[in-house]
Amino acid sequence: MSDNRTLSHGVDMSALKRDSNDKPKDEESTLIEVRDLKLFYGEKQALNGINLPIPRQRVTAFIGPSGCGKSTLLRCFNRMNDLVDGVRIEGKIMLAGKNIYDRNVEVSDLRRRVGMVFQKPNPFPKSIYENVAYGLRIQGINDRRLIDEIVEKSLRGAALWDEVKDRLHDNAFGLSGGQQQRLVIARAIAIEPEVLLLDEPASALDPISTLKIEELIYELKSKYTIVIVTHNMQQAARVSDYTAFMYMGDLIELADTDTLFTNPGKKQTEDYITGRYG
Amino acid sequence: MANILPSIDSPTSIRRTRKRRLKDLATRHLIGLGGISVIIAIVLIFFYLLYVVLPLFLPGSIERVSHYPVPGEQQSRTLLLAMEEQNEIGVRFSSDGQATFFDTHTGGPISRQALAIPAETAITSFSSATPETRTVAYGLANGEMVVAKHHYKVSYTADTKRIITPEIQYPLGQESFTIDNIGEALKLLAFQDGEEQALAAAVTEDGRLILAALLKEASFLDDEISIELETTTVESAPAHITHLLVDKDQRILYVADSEGQVSTYDVSEASEPELVNRVSVVTHDQSIADIRFLAGDISLLIADSDGTISQWFPVRDENGVGVLTKIRDFQLDAKPTQEIVPEYFRKGFIAAYDSGAIGIFHTTAERTILTDKISDTPLTQVAISPRANALLAQDSDGELHFLTIHNEHPEVSWSSLWGKVWYESYEEPQYVWQSSASSNDFEPKFSLTPIAFGTLKAAFYAMLFAIPLAIFGAIYTAYFMTPKMRSTVKPTIEIMEALPTVILGFLAGLWLAPIMEAYLPAVFLMLLLLPLSVLLFAFGWQQLPEQLRNRVPDGWQALILIPVILFAGWLAFALNSPMEIFLFNGDMRSWLDHEMGIGFDQRNAMVVGIAMGFAVIPTIFSITEDAVFGVPRHLTNGSLALGATPWQTLIRVVLLTASPGIFSAVMIGFGRAVGETMIVLMATGNTPVMDWSIFQGMRTLSANISVEMPESEVHSSHYRILFLAALVLFTFTFFFNTIAEVVRQRLRKKYSSL
Repeated sequence: MSDNRTLSHGVDMSALKRDSNDKPKDEESTLIEVRDLKLFYGEKQALNGINLPIPRQRVTAFIGPSGCGKSTLLRCFNRMNDLVDGVRIEGKIMLAGKNIYDRNVEVSDLRRRVGMVFQKPNPFPKSIYENVAYGLRIQGINDRRLIDEIVEKSLRGAALWDEVKDRLHDNAFGLSGGQQQRLVIARAIAIEPEVLLLDEPASALDPISTLKIEELIYELKSKYTIVIVTHNMQQAARVSDYTAFMYMGDLIELADTDTLFTNPGKKQTEDYITGRYG
Repeated sequence: MANILPSIDSPTSIRRTRKRRLKDLATRHLIGLGGISVIIAIVLIFFYLLYVVLPLFLPGSIERVSHYPVPGEQQSRTLLLAMEEQNEIGVRFSSDGQATFFDTHTGGPISRQALAIPAETAITSFSSATPETRTVAYGLANGEMVVAKHHYKVSYTADTKRIITPEIQYPLGQESFTIDNIGEALKLLAFQDGEEQALAAAVTEDGRLILAALLKEASFLDDEISIELETTTVESAPAHITHLLVDKDQRILYVADSEGQVSTYDVSEASEPELVNRVSVVTHDQSIADIRFLAGDISLLIADSDGTISQWFPVRDENGVGVLTKIRDFQLDAKPTQEIVPEYFRKGFIAAYDSGAIGIFHTTAERTILTDKISDTPLTQVAISPRANALLAQDSDGELHFLTIHNEHPEVSWSSLWGKVWYESYEEPQYVWQSSASSNDFEPKFSLTPIAFGTLKAAFYAMLFAIPLAIFGAIYTAYFMTPKMRSTVKPTIEIMEALPTVILGFLAGLWLAPIMEAYLPAVFLMLLLLPLSVLLFAFGWQQLPEQLRNRVPDGWQALILIPVILFAGWLAFALNSPMEIFLFNGDMRSWLDHEMGIGFDQRNAMVVGIAMGFAVIPTIFSITEDAVFGVPRHLTNGSLALGATPWQTLIRVVLLTASPGIFSAVMIGFGRAVGETMIVLMATGNTPVMDWSIFQGMRTLSANISVEMPESEVHSSHYRILFLAALVLFTFTFFFNTIAEVVRQRLRKKYSSL
């Protein structure tokens, strides 16, 4: 256990170094920094002291076998784990220099800044329009013109506008799965978050819808910092700039995506990406 | 390589497959059978109710049995026709002083008796007392009166065959009474016999109106009754009197004259008759053709010369004096009415017309039950049997027609069941349910409106109490409570449903109602204090330092409210008497009564609301809780992830998604409150009043059925109307459950892909 922790420290450092060495990107900076994050479900430890930087306006993918803790880690970024009974968290997550687990952080404000899209499309039982407007309305924005504008912008941003512009007031359940997922993304970007967390956003979708989502992620990274959890290594390879491989609650390796898939630094990573387990 | 499993076409496999298929088939049919039998059972119940109720709405019918020449002396005029209870024997009183008993079916004479009328004295008038008494009086040309009675002795032979022997009796003795001391002929006569006295009113040839009281005095030595006669001449009587009527209680004398006026005399003191008032009952160009009492001797039926029959009875004016008031009209194609014959006990009557037709009517129901032509010549005399199921009618050709009537439920009509009805002795039309009284000729009041109203009122107050508690409780339990606490709270509330409602009912009626009466201000104070104290405490709690607050684990905060609520309850009761003294002059009940004009019943809607609310809470709570808890986690997470607070998520997503379930919970709760019996039976006082007041009781359909069904005669109108109430109840609950289901299905379809 202690061995693993030192290992992950090592990975963390080298990844950062290699990142800055191999691909110097001056404009690039770290938006989120995870510092020694430990998470317990009751007695069971699920995250063993994670250290990880998330660069601004890049796509970072978390890969790893089922149960490795990648979704748990993702949910720490917007404190969704608070909702799970018996969860205890140690360590810090710095968002733009401030610890989000600080006592005086208002969780709903944090979640406004860190949006999230779940594995299964979860539109509300409302119209398409109201789904996108939801985030605005709960903030007390009721200016019809402003909402109209943001709804259109968000739907365009999620590449859904052309498909739904004639039926904005139909129930969202009339949309296909892929459309629903893009609607959920539109709903998330309507409140202009800084970070977008995607928890296996395409795993419940057909290949064509998946492709559309991936294209969308590619476009969205110009404005948002994106963290994506995926089972699908090809997907990680296609959409992400950086990839973190996790195993048994440890961060094994973080590198830019090309490096991780072509020249992994760790044996475990290589075993996983070559399909030996997972 | 040998397979472990036998191959698919091996005998074992085939046997297994067949067995499995058989089990499948059996299960499918068994379940189908269960479902279908439930539906069949409900349909059968519905049709049985309908089968019992339907006769209420069938039209009456008449069946011609026989006709024959009038028995007895053909030439003399028939004064009265009557029948005994079994409709086997009829009697004809004729103007020659004879009473002829005859077989009603064949007309064959049974016996013929000459009445004890003094020799050589002509009969100048005739009067029948209330038909039930079977007593008649003859007015004679010498100013005397003879009273007789037709009576039927029933005996049974050895082989239990019934033998009815008719006879003429003289209840006041055979000798005649001198009504007019001057000896003028009695032109008109009205007569009633009673326990202590008999009363006769007569008009003499020279137009005097004489009142004669026949006081009965039993002698001490034997059972002989001696009669003392007192006569009084009524001063200022109308000039041309056409009809005289004395009611069976011998209190009121109605005098109709040729001017179309009816004078009411108070004759409760026979020696001092007093004119109460005089009312014109027909229009100028009309005259009174016939005037009769309706059964019960409260209403008058007045036929004008145009053929319209109207019902009148005294309605108290502002001075408390009864003034004859027209209540309703019965019109039948302007045929001159010959005679009105009231039924013996019910508020129905028969009218005979010049055309030879008869009409059967019912006053309360305002219903024309049937009209039928019986003869080609005018009907001169009509008699209805005591049970109103047979008819004797004499036409002007001297033929007597015997008919049977099928008219079991004349008192039921749409208006008498649901509309306002002007009942006898009421000051105005009203909705009244009063199905029975001490007397036989009482007017039953079968308005279902106050009872249906009571049902809705009870359900309304129960829902008023139950909906907020059950729904808010369910939302808290499902959405905010920790799973551990929820796992005890939910079953506990659901177990409340198993509490026998009879226990709730008697607790409400015998324990809660007196307490609420004694501590009325406290009850209202509690309504205010409880929510207020909870809010205040919640506010105070927010102000506490966080360290202290965090000591209470999330979701357990509700527990610390318990002492707060107990304290608020205690405070309300402690403040009861000071409040009552300062605000309500020491007694809130009388304050409500006198200052606000609000009557207070001990068993009132508030008690019922709380008790029945208590009974419906588990139903509503359980379904709502399931609905709220069943809102998919990913929806709430989606909302929370967008930065919504738990409260916003609850209002905007959870309740919206759970709305079909909550709606059906409310509807099912309402259906249960409508059908609930024991609680309303024991805690409402069962007063069928129509008043939304929270301090008044009510009677519900279900309680009404359970109270009255045991005492109603099978197949009577009352019995069938109770079944109708059951049908209405059935329809109510069916309606609400259907609405609930339809709306739920539609909403569910809307939210289906969750």
